[in-house]
Amino acid sequence: MKNLLAGVSAGVVALVVGGSALAQDMPGSFTGVTIDAKLIGGQQYESLYSRIGEWEQATGAKVNVISKKNHFELDKEIKSDIAVGTITWCVGSNHSSFAPQYPGIYADLAALLPKEEIDAFVDANIGASTMDGKLVMLPRAQFDVSAMYYQKSLFADEANKTKFKEKYGYDLTPPDTWQQVSDQAAFFANPPEFYGTQYAGKEEAINGRFYEMLRAEGGEYLDADGNPAFNSEAGVRALDWFVNLYNAKAVPAGTTNYLWDDLGQGFASGTIALNLDWPGWAGFFNDPGASKVAGNVGVVAPPKGSSGVRTGWSGHHGFSVTESCANKEAAASLVWFLTNEDSQKLEAGAGPLPTRDAVWEWVIEQASDDPYRKEVLEAFQQAAAGAYPVPQSPSWIEISNAVYPELQAAILGDKTTQEALDAAAEKAKAILEDAGEL
Amino acid sequence: MRGWKPAPHVLLLLPAFVVLAAVVIVPLLLSLYSSFTPFRLTRPETIYEFIGLRNYIRLFADREFWAAFGRTVLLLTVALNVEMVLGLFLALLVEKATRGQRLLRTIMMFPMMFSPILVGFQFKFMFNDNIGLVNNALQSLGLTDQAIPWLIDGKLAFTSILIAEVWSSTSVFAIFILAGLMAMPKEPLEAAKVDGCTPWQSFRYVTWPFIMPFAYIAMTIRSLDIARAYDIVKIMTDGGPAKRTEILWTLISRTAYSDARMGLANAMAYVAILLSILFTVMFFRQLAKARQQIGAEW
Amino acid sequence: MDENQANRIKRALLKTGHLIGLFIAMAIICLPGLWIVLSSLRPTVEIMAKPPVWIPQSLSFDAYIAMFSGVGQGGIPVLDYFRNSLIISVTSTVIALAVGMAGGYAFARYQFRGKSAIFLGFMLTRTVPGIALSLPLFFVYAKLGIIDTHFGLILAYVALNVPFTIWLIDGFFRQVPRDLAEAAQIDGCTRWQAFWQVEFPLARSGIASAGIFAFLISWNEFALASQLTRSTNSKTLPVGLLDYTAEFTIDWRGMCALAVVMIIPALTLTFIVQKHLVSGLTSGAVKG
Repeated sequence: MKNLLAGVSAGVVALVVGGSALAQDMPGSFTGVTIDAKLIGGQQYESLYSRIGEWEQATGAKVNVISKKNHFELDKEIKSDIAVGTITWCVGSNHSSFAPQYPGIYADLAALLPKEEIDAFVDANIGASTMDGKLVMLPRAQFDVSAMYYQKSLFADEANKTKFKEKYGYDLTPPDTWQQVSDQAAFFANPPEFYGTQYAGKEEAINGRFYEMLRAEGGEYLDADGNPAFNSEAGVRALDWFVNLYNAKAVPAGTTNYLWDDLGQGFASGTIALNLDWPGWAGFFNDPGASKVAGNVGVVAPPKGSSGVRTGWSGHHGFSVTESCANKEAAASLVWFLTNEDSQKLEAGAGPLPTRDAVWEWVIEQASDDPYRKEVLEAFQQAAAGAYPVPQSPSWIEISNAVYPELQAAILGDKTTQEALDAAAEKAKAILEDAGEL
Repeated sequence: MRGWKPAPHVLLLLPAFVVLAAVVIVPLLLSLYSSFTPFRLTRPETIYEFIGLRNYIRLFADREFWAAFGRTVLLLTVALNVEMVLGLFLALLVEKATRGQRLLRTIMMFPMMFSPILVGFQFKFMFNDNIGLVNNALQSLGLTDQAIPWLIDGKLAFTSILIAEVWSSTSVFAIFILAGLMAMPKEPLEAAKVDGCTPWQSFRYVTWPFIMPFAYIAMTIRSLDIARAYDIVKIMTDGGPAKRTEILWTLISRTAYSDARMGLANAMAYVAILLSILFTVMFFRQLAKARQQIGAEW
Repeated sequence: MDENQANRIKRALLKTGHLIGLFIAMAIICLPGLWIVLSSLRPTVEIMAKPPVWIPQSLSFDAYIAMFSGVGQGGIPVLDYFRNSLIISVTSTVIALAVGMAGGYAFARYQFRGKSAIFLGFMLTRTVPGIALSLPLFFVYAKLGIIDTHFGLILAYVALNVPFTIWLIDGFFRQVPRDLAEAAQIDGCTRWQAFWQVEFPLARSGIASAGIFAFLISWNEFALASQLTRSTNSKTLPVGLLDYTAEFTIDWRGMCALAVVMIIPALTLTFIVQKHLVSGLTSGAVKG
């Protein structure tokens, strides 16, 4: 099967590129070449790197991992490299939320790899990896979109069902809209013992959550001309969702200081009814050694906002090849290898979501006799269908940093929703103007 | 007798001078220059654009910057004083112990072995309002039935950070003061006793003047080193929520790397340096005075 | 007789008070640390539990076993990190102490022009916040090609520690009366001999505390290390802690286990060096 595929792709390449150096079997042969790589480190990401040895064997090249760090540290390092002009390496880990910040340092992979190979990825992921028409990275099987985790027993409880129906006039089922989430969160909350839901409350996290809620409410973050437009009516509705839950004490009081780690630990402690969270936690939540709710976890697709659209803020990891790389073909081959079907199966087999169509089918098939895993995958597949990345502005992170304190101010009641959003929009506009984007 | 070169102190100071010049002075000049540019990390060419004092002018008009500045001064002042008092107590307690000195001294320094980022995570989880150790303990003991929002409420968050900071750094004071206590000659104390001084009097007039220089050394070193608190604050609250715990270091590093506006960040850093210099010179003066009191020449 | 008894009671009370105070202080210091140790041994489900599980139900070394196993089974290159940390901290401490002894001695024993200004200048280098230094330092290091090397980090840590090793050692040399060394010199010692035989032993407790301090700072330093190191060539343990964080998840138990691995050597070293702190007590000859 692999040979066949390679044969086909080689044939296609020969047709498309016609006689260039690429017209050969992937991964190709690059004897004597050394590729310097900066890779993201951490438990979840590193098992893939054992495959580097195979690529070295297949191609005769050598890979020299010159840096391995977590996401944010790596971002800092790449920016430092750009600043002092030391991009002497070839392959770098990348992320769709960070990629727009590095304009120009990464090469267009679409020109380096056969089209057939690129088509095998999920279209939305390729779209999110394309900046200004350049495919700056190939997605690995580390795709992140959120789905709604919930405690099943709460929804199965007959007393809960009757009481809920009496109070809200509709049946208690796992939520399909954010309005239902609000109702249910308020219904289940019993502070300080138990909370209805929670949300990430700081840094890029709260801004991302606000961004997707805004879209689900029918608003837009930046309008067609690139102006900040989130202080609209939809924006107020979106932010009010967070504010109202906080005021109703349906979320933990500390939620504005929570980041992903706090959220995961919180849901696992069994004190949260509903939790919009990432696929990386699915295994953790259902592991009796790690989580109190193990065996009691249900997952549904992310709920819809008032516009009928599901929330779907997403991001994915990938690998890029630098423009300054001396041997881009070899580097591209490595990037291809680390994101090919076998690599994605290796990663996706452990839980993370794939970014190739064929591997999606494969993981679902693998999960056929594991009902929990199947439920997880179905929910996330639905989430993936409506997923979108952050706005592709180089200033996105900077805007996030300016906006999130204002969002927090609204949630904590220091400002009204409209005031906070207006202030945030003004800051965001100044940032975009400073950066020459407006 | 002097087989030395004419100026031995020059030779002796040379290594320190070389190291500090290479690692501190040169980079410092570079960053001073960049504070006069709109330097953005992601656009390296911007470092050649000279904009004079624009970054500084911007800062002087920036309310959030000065709020962070004030908060930093407050944190520094409160933390240093609390640490000094607690450190003194700790050192006295340990010094008085008749047995297990080695063990006690090791335990006393225990918090210094925790990397500040670890301290940050540790206290963040402990002060978590929902599942944190502190609220759990208070609720189990029946002291409260609320989930106290330790890291949210402005004052509580400041206190929580202060607790983490004090926990991790009181040892520094304790160890310096203890070293001073141990280096202290016994005769004056005995003489004071013979003269009929109360323990408080002999502490106040004999011990305290002697250990004061050590306390000031510790104070100065800590005030220089307070940027270490950055790691703790960064992880515990990152200046939030809604900038309630924003201090200079969290603001500067976010501006420098996350926003990639290194030029502006360096301007902030230089204002911050002035603050540190002020603190240092102040303690330094007091140190010199304390030394004069015990008759050491300067 | 009565007075004697009253005195005895008073003394007993004082002693008990002292013990209680000592106990409380030590408990406050130890508890957060012990919580870390405990967290590394407990299953995650018990660490962040609510209602809390005060008495551990099951303890295991799983996190430690995982740490040392291969990549993919929860392993991290802990031995590499450990080696780097050890080499960098020990070397930089030794150098910082040597430089600090030279400088401290110069300030304590020689009179020269601009002494206070130079001294203050040295101290002020320490006021520079790491963030103002990190990028320019990175720039200089990149040009010199010493990014991600032991040498680079050692150099940075020496500079970090030198101001206060100078200061501290200076302070202790000042406590050693000048006449002692002079007496030794009159007895026929060279200044060098007088230093090692008379002044050094008396200032030993100061040097030891400066040493512990410098070592612990280097051992735990994070901000500069995260900027100047990149791979297992030079990454130190504090930077390695972040290996337990991913974009959305954190392995708190694993992090605690690594923290314990970090703390044990530091604790051992401190315990050993205590001996030299004690020897400062023998300085009966020192006059105030």
